[in-house]
Amino acid sequence: MALLQVKFDQKKRVKLAQGLWLLNWLSVLAGIIIFGLGLFLKIELRKRSDVMNNAESHLVPNSLIAMGMLACVFHFLAGKICYDAVDPAKYAKWKPWLKPYLAVCVLFNTVLFLVTLCCFLLRGSLESTLAHGLKNGMKYYRDTDTPGRCFMKKTIDMLQIEFKCCGNNGFRDWFEIQWISNRYLDFSSKEVKDRIKSNVDGRYLVDSVPFSCCNPSSPRPCIQYQLTNNSAHYSYDHQTEELNLWLRGCRAALLSYYSSLMNSMGATTLLVWLCEVTITIGLRYLHTALEGVSNPEDPECESEGWLLEKSVPETWKAFLESLKKLGKSNQVEAEGADAGQAPEAG
Amino acid sequence: MALVLPLALPLQPRIRLAQGLWLLSWLLAVASSLTLLCSGHLLVQLWHLGTFLAPSCQFTALPQVALAVGAVALGTGLVGAGASRASLDAAQYPPWRRVLGPLLVAGTAGGGGLLVLALGLALALPGSLDTGLEEGLGAAMAHYKDTEVPGHCHAKQLLDELQLRHHCCGRHGYKDWFGVQWVSSRYLDPGDQDVVDRIQSNVEGLYLIDGVPFSCCNPHSPRPCLQSRLSEPHAHLLFDPRQPNLNLWAQGCHGVLLGHLQELASTLGSMLVVTILLQTLVLLGLRYLQTALEGLGGVINGEGETQGYLLPGGLRDMLKTAWLQGGVDHRPAPEEGPPEEASPKEGLPEA
Repeated sequence: MALLQVKFDQKKRVKLAQGLWLLNWLSVLAGIIIFGLGLFLKIELRKRSDVMNNAESHLVPNSLIAMGMLACVFHFLAGKICYDAVDPAKYAKWKPWLKPYLAVCVLFNTVLFLVTLCCFLLRGSLESTLAHGLKNGMKYYRDTDTPGRCFMKKTIDMLQIEFKCCGNNGFRDWFEIQWISNRYLDFSSKEVKDRIKSNVDGRYLVDSVPFSCCNPSSPRPCIQYQLTNNSAHYSYDHQTEELNLWLRGCRAALLSYYSSLMNSMGATTLLVWLCEVTITIGLRYLHTALEGVSNPEDPECESEGWLLEKSVPETWKAFLESLKKLGKSNQVEAEGADAGQAPEAG
Repeated sequence: MALVLPLALPLQPRIRLAQGLWLLSWLLAVASSLTLLCSGHLLVQLWHLGTFLAPSCQFTALPQVALAVGAVALGTGLVGAGASRASLDAAQYPPWRRVLGPLLVAGTAGGGGLLVLALGLALALPGSLDTGLEEGLGAAMAHYKDTEVPGHCHAKQLLDELQLRHHCCGRHGYKDWFGVQWVSSRYLDPGDQDVVDRIQSNVEGLYLIDGVPFSCCNPHSPRPCLQSRLSEPHAHLLFDPRQPNLNLWAQGCHGVLLGHLQELASTLGSMLVVTILLQTLVLLGLRYLQTALEGLGGVINGEGETQGYLLPGGLRDMLKTAWLQGGVDHRPAPEEGPPEEASPKEGLPEA
C-alpha cells in the first residue's frame, strides 16, 4: 500500500507541473532574499566586531548565505525540470537524474531546518562575547595614543550615542576603570595626586562618565562629573535622577538589537523552509506520477502518484535490507578473492 | 484652413509611432514614480526639521508642487501606454476615441500650469530656505533652556539630537553658544558668587558662559571632551582653543542642513526636468496619433495616407470660430426662454 496515493490524469499532471514551476521561481526569489539577509547580518556583525573582541561566531550569517545560494541553484534547476515535465520527449533526458535530485532536496531541507534553529538558539554565545568585548573596549578607551587601540574611544562613544546606552551593565562601570588618559592629567594638582595615591593600582578613578552617556531628553544640561556628590550640583539628587544619563547597559542594548535581527531572520527562513518542503513533496508526486505512466506512447492515460512506494516501516526495512546486501556482496567478493588466492598458494 | 505642423502618417510609421509611444509612456511612468518618491523623501526631511525652519519659510511648497507634477505625469504615462497599445488593436480603440481628447487637454493644461508654478517657485525659494534656517536655528538655540515652558520644552532634545546626528555645533560655529543662555535658571545656584557676578555683569541679566552643550562634542577627539572654559587658553592641560583641534564639531548646523536640503532639492529638480520633457514628448505623440486615426475615421488598419497635426486650423482661425460659435449661441436667449438655455451648452465647439 503506497503512502498518500493520489490519482493523476493528464490535466492534473500538467497543472501540477505548472504550479511547481511557479513555486520554484518564487523560491529562487526567496533564496535571493535569504542570501541578502545573511549578507546584512554578516555586515552588521562586522561593523561591531571591535566591541566583540573579533571573536564573534559568523556561523549564522555564513550558513544563511550558503543556503540562499544553494536554494537559488536548486530551484532554478527544478524549475527547468518542471517546465520540461509537460513534454514526455524533453522529460526523458531528466528521468535518471530525478531520484538523486530528490534525495539531495530532502537533505537540503533538513540542513535548512537546522539553520533556522540556529538563528533562534545562538543568542547565548553572543551574550558572553559581547560582555567580554565591551569590558575590553572600555579598558582601552583611554589608549588613544596606542597604535592598534586608538580607535576604541571613537567606537565606544559612537556606540553609546547610537544605541542610547552607557557602560557594560550601567553607567557605574565607568567608575571602576580609568578612562582619562594620563597624558591629560595635571600631575601638579593636589586632587589628582591624592586620588592616584589612594588607589591600590595607582589608577585615576573618578565618579564621572564620558559625554556619550548623556541623555538629550534630560531637562537640565548634562551632569557628567562628580555624579555621586549631591552637593557638587545645584538641586541634584543622584538617587532619584533618571533622565540625566542613559540607564541601559550597552550589552543589553546590543543583545536585544541582534536578537530581534536573528529572530526575524529565523522567522523568514522558517517560512521559506515550509515552501521548500511543499516543493519537494510536489516534485516527488510529479516524479512518481510520470514514472507510473504505463504506456509511453499514450500521454493521456491516468497514473498514480505516491510519496513512498510502500508504507514507512516497510520502506525502512527495505532500506536496511539493501544496506545489508551491499555489505554481504563486499564479503562475498572478499571471500572469493581469498579462495582464489589460496589454491594459487597451495 | 492650414493645419498646424502636419505630418504624413501612413500605416507603417503609424505603427512605429504607437510602439515608440508605448515605450516612452512606460519610461514616463518610471520617471514620474521616481519624482514622486524623491519629493516624498524631501517632504519627510522637511517635516523632521520643522522645528528648525521658521514658520514663514515657504520651502515646502516646492516638493508639494513636484508631487502634483509627478502625479499628473504618472497619469499621462499610464494613459499614453494604454492608448498606444489600444491603437494597434482595432477592437480596443473605440472606447479610447471618446476619452482621448479631453484627457489630452487635461494633461496639457495641468502639466503646463504646474510647470510654470514650479519654475516660479524654483527661482523664488532658495533664498527663503537660507533665512528660514537662520531664524529657526536661532530660535531653537534661544529656547534650549526652556525645558519647562509649554510649547518649547522639546527644543533642547531636538537640538541635541540634531547636533549629534548631523555632526554640527551651533548656527555657524561653537561660539554661537557663548552668546545664548543655554543653562536654565532653575539649575543655577543663587548662592554661588560666580553665578551672581556673571548675571550682574550682563546687560540683559543673562547667564552667559564660554561653554557648550555635550552634543557639540566630537567623538574623534583623542581626549575626553572639554565643554567648559573654552575661551581661556590655559584653563586645560595641553589645550589651546585657538589652535585647530578635534574637541568639538567644527561645522555650524546652518551650513550642514542647507547643504543637505539643497542636495535633495537639486536631485528633485533634475528628476522634474526629465519628467516634464518626457511628458511633453508623450503628449505630442498622443496628439499626432489621435489626429491621424481621426483622419481615417477611427479605422486602425486603414492603408490610406492620413495626416497627423497639432491643431486643426491656424490658431487665429480656431479662436475666431470658437468666438463666433459662442456669440451665436448666446444671442437668441431672451426670446426663447429657459428651455433653450440647455442647448447652447451642448452646442459648444468640440475642438
